[in-house]
Amino acid sequence: MKEQWRLLQTGFNTAFSNMAIDKAILVANSEGKVPPTVRFYGWMPRAISLGYFQSVAEEIDVKACKQLGVDYVRRITGGGAVFHDKELTYSIVIPESHPAVPKNILKSYGRICNALLHGLQHLGIQGTYAPINDILVDGKKISGNAQTRKINTVLQHGTILLDVDVDTMFSLLKVPNEKIKDKLIKDVKQRVTSIEHLVGKRIHFEEVAEALKKGFEEEFRIELVPGNLTKEEKTLAVQFEKECFSTTQWNHRR
Amino acid sequence: MRSQSVYKVPQGKLLKISVEYNEKKNIIKNIWITGDFFAYPEEAIELLEKKLTNTTLEQEQLLQKIRSIITEYHIQFIGVDAEGLTKGILMCKL
Repeated sequence: MKEQWRLLQTGFNTAFSNMAIDKAILVANSEGKVPPTVRFYGWMPRAISLGYFQSVAEEIDVKACKQLGVDYVRRITGGGAVFHDKELTYSIVIPESHPAVPKNILKSYGRICNALLHGLQHLGIQGTYAPINDILVDGKKISGNAQTRKINTVLQHGTILLDVDVDTMFSLLKVPNEKIKDKLIKDVKQRVTSIEHLVGKRIHFEEVAEALKKGFEEEFRIELVPGNLTKEEKTLAVQFEKECFSTTQWNHRR
Repeated sequence: MRSQSVYKVPQGKLLKISVEYNEKKNIIKNIWITGDFFAYPEEAIELLEKKLTNTTLEQEQLLQKIRSIITEYHIQFIGVDAEGLTKGILMCKL
């Protein structure tokens, strides 16, 4: 019989709530209270997540975010700033000691990204893993990923672009000056792709989630069983959102 | 004196470092290491910044100090290394 992991589909939430939920799952899993968990989710309102080491002032036009109603949140994972708009975000939480996860961090990025590659295949898309933390299709980025390891537990989350609005993205993310901005937008348009662009039609969040579910099941030879956040995870998530992810102290700490 | 550098680590990530230093003594007063790299554990970056205070802005001394902190506190960097950090810090002086 296949090992069973939990599948969470938590819908669309605020940036602060989303990051709090991922951390709550990490804590619950580290205490052995919940099985390895794969979660699919979206962001409402649209938001930017910053890597743990990034500076708000360096990366984000806070004023433009406010004007467009775009939130921003600092992640507990490293990596770069991501504009979460038309995309699916996943997270996986699993004990560091689980045989499915290579001890070597880079290798574990590869293993988890393989699950995403299988998922993309179900949508007719052939991608490749590009270390450290990207997935490319025809040399263009379709997915970025970031991992942390805390309290003997691995949390990796990442995004798969369903569609991309580069102009809005660059009105929110800071780029030195207008001249470079134009060049970068052209450059980024050439370097980024999306599922809708590749399949040539509108695609629903649920279709992508279904494909990725299969991808995770194939890569890890497990069964993903739909479940819910436990009462304790919900309480933890509310606590983390209030005490950390929604605070200026956390988000502007660098 | 406070100045900044932006340094793309070869085959790695983008480092944005800000250093406040004493020009006469050539030592770091404060340092902020930011960027899209990865470090495990993440909180080690604050420790590294703290430990680099009062370090001389000189290639060998910086490199040795960073290497010893990485070893002592079992820090694992991905997308940047001791050499990249040293270069990014010294670029603030130029």
